[in-house]
Amino acid sequence: MARKVAKREERIASVVMTTFAAAYLIGTFLFIPRAMIKQQVGPSAFPTAVGVIMLLVSVLYLIQQFRGIGKEANEKRAAIIGAEEKVETKADLKTMGIVLAIMFAYAFLFDILGYAITTFLAFFIGTIVLNRKHLVRDAIIAFVASFGLYFVFSLVLRVQLPAGPLSLLGF
Amino acid sequence: MDLLHNIALGFSVAGTPFNLLLAFVGVFLGTVIGVLPGIGPMTGVALLIPICFGLPPSSAIILMAGIYYGAMYGGSTTSILVNTPGESSSVVTCIDGHEMAKQGRAGPALAAAAIGSFVAGTFATIMLMAFGPLLAQVALKFGPPEFFALMVMGLTVVTSLAGRSMLKAVFSTLFGLAIAMVGIDLQSGVQRFTFGNIQFMDGIEFLVVAIGIFALTEVFINIAEMKNPKEVSMEKIKGGLWLTKEDWKRFWPSSIRGTLSGFFVGGIAGAGAAVASFVSYGIEKRFSKHRKELGTGAIEGVTGPESANNAAAGGSLIYLLCLGIPGSGTTAIMLGALMMFGLQPGPLLFTQQPAFVWGLIASMYIGNIMLLVLNLPLVGMWVKLLKVPEYLLTLFILIFSFLGVYTMNNSVQDLVLMVIFGIVGYGMKRADVPAAPIILGMVLGKQMEEKFRQSMVISDGSFGIFFSRPIAVVFLFIAFLSITNPYWKPAINGAKRLLSKPKAA
Repeated sequence: MARKVAKREERIASVVMTTFAAAYLIGTFLFIPRAMIKQQVGPSAFPTAVGVIMLLVSVLYLIQQFRGIGKEANEKRAAIIGAEEKVETKADLKTMGIVLAIMFAYAFLFDILGYAITTFLAFFIGTIVLNRKHLVRDAIIAFVASFGLYFVFSLVLRVQLPAGPLSLLGF
Repeated sequence: MDLLHNIALGFSVAGTPFNLLLAFVGVFLGTVIGVLPGIGPMTGVALLIPICFGLPPSSAIILMAGIYYGAMYGGSTTSILVNTPGESSSVVTCIDGHEMAKQGRAGPALAAAAIGSFVAGTFATIMLMAFGPLLAQVALKFGPPEFFALMVMGLTVVTSLAGRSMLKAVFSTLFGLAIAMVGIDLQSGVQRFTFGNIQFMDGIEFLVVAIGIFALTEVFINIAEMKNPKEVSMEKIKGGLWLTKEDWKRFWPSSIRGTLSGFFVGGIAGAGAAVASFVSYGIEKRFSKHRKELGTGAIEGVTGPESANNAAAGGSLIYLLCLGIPGSGTTAIMLGALMMFGLQPGPLLFTQQPAFVWGLIASMYIGNIMLLVLNLPLVGMWVKLLKVPEYLLTLFILIFSFLGVYTMNNSVQDLVLMVIFGIVGYGMKRADVPAAPIILGMVLGKQMEEKFRQSMVISDGSFGIFFSRPIAVVFLFIAFLSITNPYWKPAINGAKRLLSKPKAA
């Protein structure tokens, strides 16, 4: 079962890769204007070369995937160089989706609510989503981590972080 | 004596209380990263770079090198005690290390790993001191064609050893190069792939990609599998930490073999720390006096690979400092960080910034000693780190990623990009596409293009320039060999058959 999933995922990947390579290659013609000065090698030559090779490689990979060749050689290679194990378990997509939403919200509210508050919220909501057994302890951890990091970075290390509403309190 | 003078200079830089403190902090944080499950050295270095922003470059690199070493070492602790390697280079250590721990010899195993790493690290540092300046001297004579060929070689050698499928690794490298092309082209002033976005004009910051693709991907992986938790059983440390006389007798030969093989195979030949550790285990299996015990908790199975992976890590730092070519994903991240500080590692660094280079070398030495002093007595504390609940750890990675990326440009757009690269990274993980080559491609991309175009200006547009210069030819030939290595065997076999046929007849 897991094998089948992995196979399908690799096929999807090969299609995505080929599409990206093709889009990139086309992009080198569309999104790189011609230089005003004359050069031996213009600004689009190198990206175009990269795009061409990328397309070539991804098409080869696509063929490999859909004709099912090269598997054995790859396993042998993996054993020699100690490649990491493949991830073949089924992913918990629902939780991942929620966390992804938290990430985007975290990013967009970063400047508005300020570092300390958004970080506290992201961490605490994260614990609610992932594990609800120790909510009080985790809330304290979230509070200490977010406000602690804020003070260490902005006051001690003098790295600028958005204060958000905290600036009203004079921090 | 130039060398002595340089060493003295180095220690005067690294020996200031502040830099000593940084080396200590680096080694400490590095070990924490190495021990924590799921944060490899690459993620760790990328996440901690923002701490370095406020520091002068020489202090920053001392901190980073400490993190690097510590993380490499910390990985072996979990290999031995929990049988889960922190990174690919300590996978082999699990075999005998965990076996030893099961037999109640976790202490000696940990000590052997630490001392083996120390021996190897010291050796690599001495080699860097001795040969670094010479290598830099040679590299100073390189022109753009040689540098271009060298970068092609660096990329292909590392790519050829990354991941299961060569095609996917090559794609990954090219993807990195493709991202590096975004932004204003400095040689013509033309905007490439900026889509009118002001922030894209400076290009995509490599740290945004690195943190997205390593740290956030890690977050996704942890969350994806949280519902089916892994069983973790930890071996306790019983008995003394120190090696017995018998252990010492067996320690030295294997450690020396590991150091040499790791340094030359993993470092100089560019095979990387993981391959180095495998090679070393193979050597032990063949040449060790106690080869029959390997796999059942022999100390050689710990000292060999652990020495080898550290020697390889040190060896790849030589390339980074003398030639500006990263030999691994982690050194690529360090290279990117140095560039953010406005430093360009390479032969010029040695001559123009002696205080910086020798300060780093001296601090590597000091760092190695600290690692030894820090790790053995504190093993108990490191082990406690393994008890941090996984979801809290994951959330900490998350908030550190955001903090790090934001502090670079104070830009929300970078944060969004990072999240997107996190998704891309998870997709790559599922499809088993190696991610480290992306960083290599990104870090080297701009320079590679620049050297290529300079070469073309010299030759007035003729590719012949890469084939009329002997050094460049050698580099390109090695690049060719490494990228075609899966096809050697069939080719050689075919050739043999062709040659032997007339004889048989």
